Amino acid sequence: MKSNNAALPSRRDLLRQGAAGAAALLPGGLALRALADEQSFGDAGKDEFFIFIHAAGGWDVTLWADPRNTRAGLVEPASTANTETGGVRLWKDETMDGDIHSFKLLQPSGSNLVFGPGIGGLLDFHDRLCVINGLAMNTVSHPDGITFSVTGRHLQGSRSLQPSINTAMANELGLAQTFPSVSLQFPSSYCGDHLDRRAVPLMIDRVGNIAGVLSRAPQYALDGDAMAVTALLSQEATALASRSAYGDVLRGMALQYRSLPGMLSPQMQNLFNDAKLRAAHPEFKYQARGMGPSAVNAAFALEAMKRNLVRCVSFALGGFDTHAGNYRQQAQLQQTMFDIVATLLRGLDTTPHPTKAGAKLSEHTHILIMSEFCRTPQINLGGGRDHYPNNSALVISPRFRGNRTFGRTDPDQVLPLATRKFSDEQRAITPPDLLATFVSAFGIAPRKYFREGEVVPELLTG
Amino acid sequence: MRAWGLAGLLGVAALCGHAGQAPAQGANPAAARTLDDYRHFRALSIDLLGRTPTRQELTDFERPDFKQEAWIDKRLTGPGYPERLARIYMDALRLEVGPAFAYTPASVILRRQLVKGPEGEELYVYYRQGQRRRRDVTDGEFCLSQAETGLSFPLAGIAVGESKPVPQQILDERTVVVRPWWLYRDFEAPHATVRLPTEGKNADPLFVPVDELLRDPDKSPTIEVRVCREEAQTADVGALFSSGRTPAPAKAPKPGAPTADLPRGRFRPYPADDAYAKAHVGDPISCRSAGALTMSADCGCGPGLRHCLPGDSGTNNPRAFSLPTRLPLGLDLPLGSTPQTVSDWYKFWWTQEAARFLGYLFSADRDFREVLAAHYSFVNGPLAAFYRTGAPASCCDREKAFGMIESTEPLFDPKALPTDLAPFDTRTWKMVPDRGAHAAGLVTMPVFLAKYASRRSRAAALYTTFLCRNFVAGKEELTPSQEPNLTVRPGCASCHATLEPLAAYFSRVEEANWTFLPAWRFPLRNLTCKKNAQGRLPGFCNVFYDGDFSDATAGVLRGAYASLDHAAAGAAGAAVALGDAPEFAACAVQRVTSSFLGRPLTSDDDDLLTALGSEFRRNGLRMRPLVRAILLSDAYRRSNNISSAIWRRGDHE
Amino acid sequence: MTTRLTAGSATALALALSACHRPPIAIAPTTVQPLLATAVIPQDTTPKEDVRLLAAEVYLRTYLQLFGGIPPVEAQQRARGNEGTALFDNWNDYLAALGFPDYRNDLPRSTQTNGLMMATFDRLGMALCARAAEHDLRDATPLPQRLLFAFANPPATPDRVAFAPAFDLLHRTFLGYPARLAPAGRTDAFFDVYRDIVARHADGKAPRTRLTPVQAGWMAVCLGLVRHPEFHTY
Repeated sequence: MKSNNAALPSRRDLLRQGAAGAAALLPGGLALRALADEQSFGDAGKDEFFIFIHAAGGWDVTLWADPRNTRAGLVEPASTANTETGGVRLWKDETMDGDIHSFKLLQPSGSNLVFGPGIGGLLDFHDRLCVINGLAMNTVSHPDGITFSVTGRHLQGSRSLQPSINTAMANELGLAQTFPSVSLQFPSSYCGDHLDRRAVPLMIDRVGNIAGVLSRAPQYALDGDAMAVTALLSQEATALASRSAYGDVLRGMALQYRSLPGMLSPQMQNLFNDAKLRAAHPEFKYQARGMGPSAVNAAFALEAMKRNLVRCVSFALGGFDTHAGNYRQQAQLQQTMFDIVATLLRGLDTTPHPTKAGAKLSEHTHILIMSEFCRTPQINLGGGRDHYPNNSALVISPRFRGNRTFGRTDPDQVLPLATRKFSDEQRAITPPDLLATFVSAFGIAPRKYFREGEVVPELLTG
Repeated sequence: MRAWGLAGLLGVAALCGHAGQAPAQGANPAAARTLDDYRHFRALSIDLLGRTPTRQELTDFERPDFKQEAWIDKRLTGPGYPERLARIYMDALRLEVGPAFAYTPASVILRRQLVKGPEGEELYVYYRQGQRRRRDVTDGEFCLSQAETGLSFPLAGIAVGESKPVPQQILDERTVVVRPWWLYRDFEAPHATVRLPTEGKNADPLFVPVDELLRDPDKSPTIEVRVCREEAQTADVGALFSSGRTPAPAKAPKPGAPTADLPRGRFRPYPADDAYAKAHVGDPISCRSAGALTMSADCGCGPGLRHCLPGDSGTNNPRAFSLPTRLPLGLDLPLGSTPQTVSDWYKFWWTQEAARFLGYLFSADRDFREVLAAHYSFVNGPLAAFYRTGAPASCCDREKAFGMIESTEPLFDPKALPTDLAPFDTRTWKMVPDRGAHAAGLVTMPVFLAKYASRRSRAAALYTTFLCRNFVAGKEELTPSQEPNLTVRPGCASCHATLEPLAAYFSRVEEANWTFLPAWRFPLRNLTCKKNAQGRLPGFCNVFYDGDFSDATAGVLRGAYASLDHAAAGAAGAAVALGDAPEFAACAVQRVTSSFLGRPLTSDDDDLLTALGSEFRRNGLRMRPLVRAILLSDAYRRSNNISSAIWRRGDHE
Repeated sequence: MTTRLTAGSATALALALSACHRPPIAIAPTTVQPLLATAVIPQDTTPKEDVRLLAAEVYLRTYLQLFGGIPPVEAQQRARGNEGTALFDNWNDYLAALGFPDYRNDLPRSTQTNGLMMATFDRLGMALCARAAEHDLRDATPLPQRLLFAFANPPATPDRVAFAPAFDLLHRTFLGYPARLAPAGRTDAFFDVYRDIVARHADGKAPRTRLTPVQAGWMAVCLGLVRHPEFHTY
């Protein structure tokens, strides 16, 4: 609450004071230390970029991160009987049952990691991959799984109760950017009184739709006309907020008015132009089957980070919800998705960082790839796989250990197994743990954004 | 607070009929209006008209004789009101089918191939994939052979080879020309002449064949289309057909290449004669059943091809019509259109049926339980065509083993359809008072059944939307287990103990489909599908009967294990059960109140919800009195914080 | 690990244990002194609810109403005029940015503004206000046919007194209440912007636009109202 009486502390102020007071009471001043860490990392984080990818529909982890190529228990592996293998480059037949073949496991030389053929071009980057298996989802509902994976909390009613990871990172490290968080069909959520409205994700369905929105007709206004109006509106919003009992929305609008002039430049129109992005980044295979056209999202991420205009780019790559005969394309779809990521990594490797002299973008870009859950180990009557409460995730980040797998599943039913003693119990890793670990890698106190979850230091470098 | 009762909660003045009246009237009535009055009126306009007030409406509002309650009552019967309420439930159910679901039934889609005519001119020939023909070389294939066209179509209808002119005699033997329904209003006449306008003010913006369907290969306007002769047949009933050929060897040659193993001139093995058709050769079969395509050589697309949808290529899901990709303001105010596929045509109209149904439910102020239970619905031309031929086309390949060759008890009985709707008539909507015995509100509409394809997802969607409850598992560890019964399995039971019995209501509606499995064909406990000595079901039973819950005496219908009673009651039973649940009314009140107040509700709102709930129930679960009470409540009036009192204080401080 | 029993905890434990076994201790009531007030502040009784964003459907319907109550396709044609996409692209390009839900892809509606939404409001507002200024603020358009700027042609030289009633009309049109009920200073603030823009366009050195200085000034006022926080919230 923002009081009308300047002498009264605001509700937020009070909460802050309360939190500080409580922190001071904690043994060893843990919370204070976290705040101090946050401060010290806050500056360090301003040169970092984030890409969050949602593999929409629920992927089959047995085709890439947690590969299975033999029958065991409930497991009916991907095989020539249920999968179109023709276009899957890394599929090498391994005899399973007479004429039916599964795939050979892929173990890069000198690595402990083992993949299925869905990993596609990302296999070449195995030394950077931090694979999390046996991620306990406790849900097989799309909306709930999506929300749980990106916010660390299950839905309540149909509402998200916490910000999604991209919102958290934008709020923490991105407010000074022209676009703190661009969200392309990514399941972003923004909730919490402590967030800055500039961190509201820019929800976009297609990159190419935006160029027009950002263009202005010079034949109708002089330079400065719109600026004058925008300045007036920012003042109006601020004034209204100051007169309001609860002015967060209006204060947020004031901030957003102020950020508008930075968005309206020809440079921005090029950035959000589908054709120009494709021309600038021909290395992506936009014609690839399934999600090929969505590769433009990756091209956008690369271009926007190169120009230092964003902090977070989040997008969805979809089509994994293969309950029926469309499961035959699951391996191909995964290959297409991971090929996009591999191409993106190559681009990051060759692109100079916009603000750190001598550095490459890849040294400061952090990628998290998630899905809402995985698919059943058994093949259903329709030839597909249904929803299953296990999951895997992938982190590619200089702050996460590469060439590493964490977590595991049981051999017969592909269910998460307890892998570690957490403070509460011996249990499997969960999305809140992963998200907490991710934000902690940048010195951000996880509790600021996520009610649950525990940092898993084993995943982190240093 | 609780003791205040309804009057206190909703604003005493409102109930007394004063709250909406203008405050003290004076010489300058406009001056008497406070900022709060204006804001309240603006909010009412937004919620009841779907837009902010016009200058004229403001002027009317400022008149001394303005009666706010009367104004509200009038708008509650206007077009903005049902749209406002429908938005709440469309947001909750998201009733549009996503891109992963494509509906492309072979029996309904007329694909086309480009061949050369006698003079070498290019021409399109329309055909159905899988069409049975009496000529061996083209049985189940395009009606012109490779020898006749120079082309073959081994993969998804994509032509391979070098096209050569087809002699006129062959063309006339194998094909006919038709003036089809997508070009002519009087398509059923022997010589149709009345063109459907595709441009100008008489054109229907929601019936726009893609340009490729309106032009011949030389870009001239299409006057008539050439169709394979079998597809152009007009009979309603055909005879079951069997070629009598020897079945293909167990290891049939791979299709796509002419090998020595393939019959001469063919690129695929002969289509197998259906076992049922072989056993019943000559018996009648409805040409509107999907099986007619592969079990009869006498069935086509009907007069003017009215029972089929045209596509602009031979691909699996060809483009057909231009449609708005989104329709945020409803059918009457479409945005721009883009070319869409055949499957999108169906999906678009499925959504419109649900929207029309909700619109009626709210505008006629029906008992809200009808959202789940109503037998009535609404169709226009495209939907009538779908229910007549498109919907049955999803049946009955697997069902034949149980003696079901056509959908005998469809969720929407085609006999209930109006007979005077042409497939192109998008503007005329007609009420169908009773879709059939198994119909149940939104629950049995294709859009719901396709969007929520599995029994469990259907149950979960209803549970969440209409009981405001969620399935969120506890933190119980999910350990490997052989227990197939999820209602008791550790780690699953916390959700599935509720979900499985609810899902059982959908046991008789196929997953990813709308085919109803009648009890006389598919008993819940089927003695024929009992387990054998090896503990297995007969092979043909597996699709419909669940080995995990069957025994040596009977097979149990899939999905029914958690509650045979629920399975017997069907989707309509779910509607009754949910509608009677105490949470149903409370959930409706909660959803609508939260939407109109524009915020999530908290425990502070409990008393308000209780009062509104009483009002809702007292009025027979009709929404209009509920919404009226919300609009007149103090909570609605103060549902944002910019108060004129605060402003004035701020201005003077 | 060893457990040390501190004096304090031992006492507490002893008290707890003893409390289990002894009869309850009777404690006589004593008079409690009222707490001293350290400050007196007014109780905050204002409702604690934030303003709501207009549903995208409401925005779109209102926009069409302001455009003359025409269907979206026609509004798109008029907004584009014969200038291609200079002022307007097509509706489908704006739907996601305006916050419409995408049921097909299960994307919920946006209930909060973001920078891109603001840019879209600006883009759409510009199209509306520019076309309205072109149409309404010219001699050839009789007063009854003026849709948005439904007032007589304003004087070429900005005049604060003449500005007020015209602004009030627009204020009512967009924000739904008279300008006199707005926070003090709003009319003046808008007049200042109007005056500056008219002056800038009237400057012979300025690039020429398709609008007269007066049209440009009123277009800016219109833009300020159609993008106003109060227009988008309720």
